[in-house]
Amino acid sequence: MISLRINGRSVAVDADEDTPLLWVVRDEIGLTGTKFGCGIGMCGACTVHVGGRATRSCITPLGAVAGADVTTIEGLDPAGQHPVQKAWISLQVPQCGYCQSGQIMQAAALLKDFPDPSDQDIDAVMTGNLCRCMTYVRIRAAIKQAAAELKGAAGRE
Amino acid sequence: MLKRTLIALAALAALGVVAFGALAWRAPIAPITPPAASSFAPALVAQGETLAAAGNCATCHTRRDGAPFAGGLAMQTSFGTIYSTNITPDPETGIGAWSEDAFRRALHEGVARDGGHLFPAFPYDHFTKLSDTDVHALYAYLMTRPPVHAPAKASKLPFPLNLRALQAGWKLLFFRPGRFQPSPAHDQQWNRGAYLAEALGHCGACHTPRNALGAEKRNQAYAGAPIDNWTAPPLTAANPSPAPWTTPELLAYLGSGVSPLHGVAAGPMAPVVHAGLAKLPEADLRAVVAYIETVGGGDARAAATAPAVSRALAADRLGLGATYDADARLYTAACASCHYNAGAAPNAARPDLALNSAVSLPDPTNLIRVTLYGVGANEGAPGIVMPGFGAGFSDADVARIAAYLRRTRTSLPPWSNLEQKVAAIRAQGRGE
Amino acid sequence: MSRLQRAIETGAHPLSRRNFLVVAASGGAAFGFAALGLAAIDPAKPGAPATPAAGPLFEPTIWFEIDAVGLVTVNIIRAEMGQHVGTALARILADELEADWSQVRIVHVDTDAKWGLMVTGGSWSVWQTFPIFSRAGAAGRLALIEAGAKLMGVTPSACIARDGKVISGGRSISFAEIVRRGDLSRRYTPDEMDKLPIKPVNERRLIGRPTPAIDIPAKTNGSAVYGIDAKVAGMVYARPKLPPTRYGAKVASIDDGAAKGVKGYLRSIALDDPSQTVPGWVMVIAETYPAAVRAADLVKVEWSGGDGAKVSEKDIQDHAASLIADAGAGSLLDTGGGGDVDAAFRSARSTIEATYTTASALHFQLEPVNALAFEKDGVFEIHTGNQWQSLILPTLATALDRPVTSIVMRTYLIGGGFGRRLNGDYAVPAALAAKALGRPVKMILTRADDARFDSFRSPSVQKLRMALGDNGRVLAMDHAAAAGWPTQVMAPAFMPKGANGRPYDPFAIAGADHWYEVGAQRVRAISNDLANSSFRPGWLRSVGPGWTNWAVESFIDEAAHATGADPVAFRVAHLTGKGRDAGGPPSAVGGALRQAAVVKRAAARAGWGQPLPRGVGRGVATSFGQERDMPTWVACVAQVRVDRSSGEVAVEKLTLVVDAGTIVDPDGARAQVEGAAMWGLSLALHEGTEFANGQVRDTNLDTYTPLRIADTPEIDIEFVDSAEPPVGLGEPATTVVAPAIGNAIFAAANVRLRHIPIRPDDVRTALSATS
Ligand code: FES
Ligand code: FES
Repeated sequence: MISLRINGRSVAVDADEDTPLLWVVRDEIGLTGTKFGCGIGMCGACTVHVGGRATRSCITPLGAVAGADVTTIEGLDPAGQHPVQKAWISLQVPQCGYCQSGQIMQAAALLKDFPDPSDQDIDAVMTGNLCRCMTYVRIRAAIKQAAAELKGAAGRE
Repeated sequence: MLKRTLIALAALAALGVVAFGALAWRAPIAPITPPAASSFAPALVAQGETLAAAGNCATCHTRRDGAPFAGGLAMQTSFGTIYSTNITPDPETGIGAWSEDAFRRALHEGVARDGGHLFPAFPYDHFTKLSDTDVHALYAYLMTRPPVHAPAKASKLPFPLNLRALQAGWKLLFFRPGRFQPSPAHDQQWNRGAYLAEALGHCGACHTPRNALGAEKRNQAYAGAPIDNWTAPPLTAANPSPAPWTTPELLAYLGSGVSPLHGVAAGPMAPVVHAGLAKLPEADLRAVVAYIETVGGGDARAAATAPAVSRALAADRLGLGATYDADARLYTAACASCHYNAGAAPNAARPDLALNSAVSLPDPTNLIRVTLYGVGANEGAPGIVMPGFGAGFSDADVARIAAYLRRTRTSLPPWSNLEQKVAAIRAQGRGE
Repeated sequence: MSRLQRAIETGAHPLSRRNFLVVAASGGAAFGFAALGLAAIDPAKPGAPATPAAGPLFEPTIWFEIDAVGLVTVNIIRAEMGQHVGTALARILADELEADWSQVRIVHVDTDAKWGLMVTGGSWSVWQTFPIFSRAGAAGRLALIEAGAKLMGVTPSACIARDGKVISGGRSISFAEIVRRGDLSRRYTPDEMDKLPIKPVNERRLIGRPTPAIDIPAKTNGSAVYGIDAKVAGMVYARPKLPPTRYGAKVASIDDGAAKGVKGYLRSIALDDPSQTVPGWVMVIAETYPAAVRAADLVKVEWSGGDGAKVSEKDIQDHAASLIADAGAGSLLDTGGGGDVDAAFRSARSTIEATYTTASALHFQLEPVNALAFEKDGVFEIHTGNQWQSLILPTLATALDRPVTSIVMRTYLIGGGFGRRLNGDYAVPAALAAKALGRPVKMILTRADDARFDSFRSPSVQKLRMALGDNGRVLAMDHAAAAGWPTQVMAPAFMPKGANGRPYDPFAIAGADHWYEVGAQRVRAISNDLANSSFRPGWLRSVGPGWTNWAVESFIDEAAHATGADPVAFRVAHLTGKGRDAGGPPSAVGGALRQAAVVKRAAARAGWGQPLPRGVGRGVATSFGQERDMPTWVACVAQVRVDRSSGEVAVEKLTLVVDAGTIVDPDGARAQVEGAAMWGLSLALHEGTEFANGQVRDTNLDTYTPLRIADTPEIDIEFVDSAEPPVGLGEPATTVVAPAIGNAIFAAANVRLRHIPIRPDDVRTALSATS
């Protein structure tokens, strides 16, 4: 049994410790918003947060996250209204949508480190997230829109 | 985790067997009935706990998923596999029958209660410097642990290395017993740090190179050494990290496992920090740092930090935009989401690989290991993980990333035979 | 009507009007219940069972229904894979129905014979559905007005429908109330339906207006359900162990001794496949997917047979070249009379000739193919995302040896189609394993397995020749194209016959039959039999024009330069819109003149002719999209910078102008063009693999390198304002980018690249050859 927290909930998982976190999240916990794309850490479809940092769950063994805090797309915001999610909807970013859980998780983590990201910051941090529908133009724009909203919110506090 | 070198006892054939025979035998110390836990003062036990942490006792003496201090951890050495012993107060299989004298003799002289010589995988060459008061506290702590019945596993060493008596010859050659002697040339803080690092923390056990017989080379203290399929980097000025190890960097690294300019404590260093140094009182941690700082002299070179940082940040911008350098593309897609930095200084949570010693060391082992196996949530920066790319990447992919970093992040000569090294490290496995 | 449309109608699954429009046979039937037993998906409420209809139901056609609270449910037979097709199609129907958009929901239906042909591809969805959904909506509106007028005691002519209400003067009655109280027995015969008046363009209230896509919110919070998310109680997981070749392999032995140590491993099954879809596949079954993955690595299988284990990309391309060299090979396209090509070449003042090639290219849709299969209550259920259910269902029937009527494919969102899921082969092994085990099996391919047996885009070789007369006048053009033919391999019934009576794959040659006036014209489509027998060629986004237009538009550029003409002016001069290039109704009104217009417009927008720094160049290319009868007019200007020392080509900007007739969903249309153009860029510079030893060489993202965000240039897109019928948008922009880049490289560095993908090494080699 390996214990960890997923979206704030404590869970104990009975699986080998080298089981990829991705399949634990999808098949054992039943949160299927996290996707399987490449399985080698090169597409970002499986991105979750571990300790608040974007992490490719397909190559993260369950044993590595023992005791850690994992957040999936389902837990990013209770109402699906994280500024990144709102920007994604307002700019109609998703096409097939398959990469977008990972894109959103990566973008949300990006904005914590780079509250005012340049194009270059976005390119560097988001390049690991492949979008086969090639929604990149909108991803860039939506990240900037979300950054603006977050800054506005920070300004009001 | 110190599960290192054994000694090449074969060379002992060169020793005079007669003299040797006289030395080999030590008298047993009579067994005792384990003292009641209540017989130890709580304050003393608490002090012992801190010392045991700083000495990393549990790391070696606890098997994965095993009871604390019950031993059984396998240590692969180039001489064979040995197992750590049970140091819980179980009278039969642990040290329950050991008097404090027996315990002290083990630490100070490397001799078990029954008179047998201990393998120097147990760093009595450092513990010999421990003060009697600290031994007293450590004894109190260990004797108040829950006893666990766990018989020692027989080490798998070939004859004659398995003869404990032969260890005596090694001691004759290399072991200098004696308590720590403060240096009058340094202040009290430094001396406290030196004591903690040399006696209890046994830093040199990993960071000092060893001779063919497995003894630390005194004239190369802290010059860096291979350890458990990793590389313990030099703590001296020879450390190749582009940014010097200054006092604040050392404090952050040894106190939390994360330093903004050097990355995280991974591999065998992870428990040294998280299970040990991080538990020291602030004053003791500062003392260790004060001592290690004089080993490397990082503060004197602090001016080198700013240019190193700006070079690193410039390197982070490489490979972005339309570029068809296949290695740059691979690196950016796999690594930059976490390791890219911008702004005035790198973010400690985004270890900058241009500054990381793993990229600058003469040997690529640490970089390859971390790339293949990642860093767990209980290592490195607590609570966050680096995934292991070995699960999906070929040896060639890992080698490409290592070569790319070496080529673009340093001006050092390229590493050779990278792909074979990756294959070899993959074959070694993650280790525990 | 489109050549392809004709092919489809005469094919195995005729698309008769009857299928499009089933008018309620009686008043009783009109007040029925929603299609029973169909799970279907409502992309706005993923995972939840479709909301049951409230009370009596008005269902004037199979395409939509209105319930007693006024909820309009539109049935979508197209797969949702990123084009937000349900939103676009529902807008068409709702506009004509005068529905209140907030009351409209969409349902992507499961397979059922009543839907007729179920296929999503070719950028046909809006184009094909527009007339049907317009009329279905109009029928509903007229019936509601009639019934509403009666309820209000006025004449229908005194009423209008608007916003889900029938209005007469100051009074109104909601659709909901009409459904509850009215007499909705009005029926239409197909002929009546055909004659129904469609609203004039200026009366449109939803089409062309910005609308948030219904499927998008669920795609931002993890609740969208794709095939890979399908689950059912008691299912086990499977990962196939793939044979060394796509065809002909037989399992000789299986040794799963090592796999038995994997916790959760159950067994390995050599599939017995009467449909010959997956010969030699072994299914490794386990309690969890990671266990199946690990076990499959440990199971040792030996295969016999399987030719082609040594075939390489070069073998395939060499074979294509030799087929092209054989003048008798291939099928000739009808090029409208054509003229005597050989005579024109004999009398030419000069000729030009060039050969263009393209590399194998993977779909790499981000969701690896997968399917969940099980038998329940006598019906075999296949849960998966699929683009061409009608194609794979008969194959499944053969494989499972049961009537097609006892198989249903449940619909799921698709994590990227791009043509991969037109080939439903992946449903077969899941179904066979479920049958063999007698319990539900969910199969997921690993990424590498998905790539290895992708129905990837065949490599191609094309030879183009042009005969020039005095003053550079074009006398004739000859185009021969050889590639693997997906339609021949997977759906031969859909191959029309060429002018010489031989069938050809329209999806492997469309685009060569361009709208330029070039005098005598010959287009020869050649099937590369070595490709067909070595792998399973597939339809990949933009299909044939993905390579034919690379050749045509590069070659037209070469012709312009050969005759000393400006590439924009040369194109416009030959897009005369005369003769067969004049176009005509229904979808090609305006013909080549509309193509000339987009070329001129794109050139103007991109600053064509304005000076650029050294090493930077602009190139233009244009396309009519996927097929002559459904032309989407596109032009692209690429601005690139060529680094002469490294050979790197940096695309600085893409300017696209698109005339796709009526734009139903402006933002969705823009998204499609953005994605399509980036695909074109990716295929031009970034991705592409090689067939080697009977497999593709690159099977994952460590070495297969599609466009990523850092490679994304500035892009400027303009749509031509048009009231012509809407045509496809998902693909046409893909085909113009590569030639625009190639032509821009020529402008920047004076070297001509004739192979895609263009790699820095190719550029360097070309540069050193010229200097
Ligand atoms: S599935 Fe994890 S990075 Fe692609
Ligand atoms: S939206 Fe389809 S892969 Fe990104």
